[in-house]
Amino acid sequence: MNKNREPLIRVVKREGMKRREIVMLYFGAIILALGIGAILLLSLDAEPFEYYEKMFTMGTIGNKLAYIQFQTYVQEFVPLLITSLALSLAFKMRFWNIGGEGQFLLGSLAGATVAFMVPTSTNVFLSMFLMILAGAVVGGLIGLSTAALKVKFGTNETLFTLMINYVALYVMRFFGETKADWNIFLRPEERPKFNQIPDNTKMFTIKIGDFSLELSLILAIVLVVVLYFYLNRTKQGYEIAVVGDSINTAKYAGMKVNKVICRTMFISAALIGAAGALRVSSVHALSDSITNSVGWTGIVVAWLAKLNPIGIVIVSALITLLQCGCRFASSSFGNIDSHFADLLQGIILFVILAADFFIRFKIVFRHNSKKSSSEKEVNA
Amino acid sequence: MSNNIYAIELENITKTFGSVVANKNINLNVKQGEILALLGENGSGKTTLMNMLSGIYKPDSGTIKVNGVPVTIHSPEDSKKYGIGMVHQHFKLVDVFTAADNIWMGAQNAGLILKNDRYEKIAEISNKFGFEFNPRKVVSNMSVSEKQTLEILRVLYYGANVIILDEPTAVLTVQEIRKLFDVLRRMKEEGHSIIIITHKLNEVMEISDRVTILRKGEYIDTVNTSETNEQELTDLMVGHKVNLNIERVETSFDRPLLEIRNLTIKNDEGSKAIDDVNFYIRGGEILGVAGIAGCGQKELCEAIAGLRKIEDGQIIHKGENIVGLTPKAIIEKGISMSFIPEDRLGMGLAPSLSITDNMMLKNYNQGKSIFVDRDKARNKAQELIDRLGIVTPSTETPVRRLSGGNVQKVLVGREIDAGPNVIITAYPVRGLDINSSYAIYDILNEQKKDGVGILFVGEDLDVMLALCDKIMVLCHGKLMGVVHAHKATKEELGLMMTGAKDISEVNGKVAGIAKDSLIADSKEASDE
Repeated sequence: MNKNREPLIRVVKREGMKRREIVMLYFGAIILALGIGAILLLSLDAEPFEYYEKMFTMGTIGNKLAYIQFQTYVQEFVPLLITSLALSLAFKMRFWNIGGEGQFLLGSLAGATVAFMVPTSTNVFLSMFLMILAGAVVGGLIGLSTAALKVKFGTNETLFTLMINYVALYVMRFFGETKADWNIFLRPEERPKFNQIPDNTKMFTIKIGDFSLELSLILAIVLVVVLYFYLNRTKQGYEIAVVGDSINTAKYAGMKVNKVICRTMFISAALIGAAGALRVSSVHALSDSITNSVGWTGIVVAWLAKLNPIGIVIVSALITLLQCGCRFASSSFGNIDSHFADLLQGIILFVILAADFFIRFKIVFRHNSKKSSSEKEVNA
Repeated sequence: MSNNIYAIELENITKTFGSVVANKNINLNVKQGEILALLGENGSGKTTLMNMLSGIYKPDSGTIKVNGVPVTIHSPEDSKKYGIGMVHQHFKLVDVFTAADNIWMGAQNAGLILKNDRYEKIAEISNKFGFEFNPRKVVSNMSVSEKQTLEILRVLYYGANVIILDEPTAVLTVQEIRKLFDVLRRMKEEGHSIIIITHKLNEVMEISDRVTILRKGEYIDTVNTSETNEQELTDLMVGHKVNLNIERVETSFDRPLLEIRNLTIKNDEGSKAIDDVNFYIRGGEILGVAGIAGCGQKELCEAIAGLRKIEDGQIIHKGENIVGLTPKAIIEKGISMSFIPEDRLGMGLAPSLSITDNMMLKNYNQGKSIFVDRDKARNKAQELIDRLGIVTPSTETPVRRLSGGNVQKVLVGREIDAGPNVIITAYPVRGLDINSSYAIYDILNEQKKDGVGILFVGEDLDVMLALCDKIMVLCHGKLMGVVHAHKATKEELGLMMTGAKDISEVNGKVAGIAKDSLIADSKEASDE
């Protein structure tokens, strides 16, 4: 019987790859993804280098209105950054919060409600604070409810958070399309259309030349630092790590596992809700596409960054660049749709996952197959 | 049918896992129409050996012959093809399916469409062997014995000629065992060969034709059941006393530190894991817990640590009942529990976190600061690495990257470092080499000298006889008695473990109740 031989290809675990090699591998993966993108561009009759140049610079070089590009960039970067950070908090605990979209939408709705309700004489900082607070509380309670259901009844958080996304979306559409008088979110004259929020609730900005720096960017950067310390240095962060690693061990150590899950999920969803409120303040009106899909993209960002806060800053900055850049580049390439960004993002994700695989495993081919199989036979 | 053809022959089978030799040059054969009992203590390699027949493991060397022809078994599929079927100790069934669908799922001729005649086909086989069985019943509604019947039916349906049963009677009642044995005899008459793994000597005597005995991964002997007796089998199974040179430190015992009265605990399946057990530990004493695997040791440890619900009874620590306290409160009372499960990482450590982070698992919450004191934990980790000779690249290495022995040192080291007054430790030397084992024994002896009460749940009787002061023996959750280690023999323990000897109540004196008990109304407690 000549069946007792190694398979042709085997996957073997690899340990201890150097950090430099890992960085090189990721870098190579991105280049490879861009290469695949270039082939697609060529097939669409576009010049890849020109396209990529426009994409990576977002057309800012030699452009007098470049500051507008940067402002848009920041407006899109901040919600993605905050959402990704918040999601990573839950993911670290192995709690699959895929309800970022819903939490963001409801947070923005809560923020807008405050914006339309506060007296127009209110100071901008106070009104922004109240908006953020409202968004955080609403988002947080939604998150808390899914966590509470999970710990009480063992429900599946993936399903629950996912379904709330759709509930939230239709709640938003309901407010967007209901012409009744009580609907404060719509314009008084042009119904049904979302109204602009009052001036005193619009995002506070700092003028740097022509460029207006949004306060939200500063808040987001502060959040990165706070979360970094929260996860790595505090007792609560330690609890999250242990619960995520082994629930049995956490119980054994005397941790109140249910409390940790509820608390962490509240914080995660509250941050996303707050990001929603900030987004309203930043773009000045509600819309059912206000999330810009950060609830989904944030999942990708969190995993690509291996749930590391600093990594999340880098990855979300790059992903935003990809999206803004592609939108700009497609304006000068008539035959390339702005959705090319999604395509490229998907390719990059795939290639990075492949790189990840090669960091953790290596493939071993059967060598000297004749010799080894005959040896085995002798043994047998 | 000639009796000279063996249905299965294993010749010189060897299997190692890393540095641990699970099976060494094992020989075993089964004739057609024969029931062979496979006997051995925990960790003697019985299940490993059978897993090689059922295609879960592959032997490192040696030959497997089926009906006299050498074969190689790569997978459970191969094993099925050669007519070998195994009924595992832990059932492998889909809970939401009916009995028939569970069988149908893996059948060769299943096809894509579920046909209604599957119920009849399965009922047919079931009748043939005298099972009372409803093929339309859903698995989640079945009793343990029904599930086992289903497992046996499944291997029969797949046309198995050789059937391996891994401790089939462990989960059954006496009546159910009767029924099972009737079925086994009928299968034998039909010409099937049966290998039954068991620890219970009376069952071996009752059902088997021959017995093969393994000890510590080695083949000892095969004897005809009709020519042997329980005493001889016990001797073969436990072997002769080995002098291990483990020091038993003499200390003066304190009053009882931990007293357990009438304790009853259920396991995850809802049957009694610990049944009305009494025992106590004094300060400066090591109390061993001997018993076949799965006799309630795990549940007992979990209950003391506050991780499992206590159905009935008391756990008295320094005169105070700790039943119903949270795990945290129990840790704060100085009761440390470390349990090394078979996979070694299941309880007590967070495998992806570093040694440093694992050091602070139980005391991270001390102090008012919202921050964890990682520097202190890192120092402690370094101290343990130096003191216990833990082999690791650094204090920041994730625990799962360490080898088994080092993982255990981290766990046991941390527990002792917390300065407990009661140590519950289960299988602390599981899978360790000699030197690491001795390091752990030394640590325990040192604690004993400091007046700590130690409950040592062990596997190796030689070690327990040498290390412990007293040994309590459990058999299916019941206390069989408490013996003084220096007076006891392995044979005696072996008989108690298998339930053949019960000295839990001699001349009206109930074992495991201290004379100077701190339980005020101890009479009433024991009457309950």
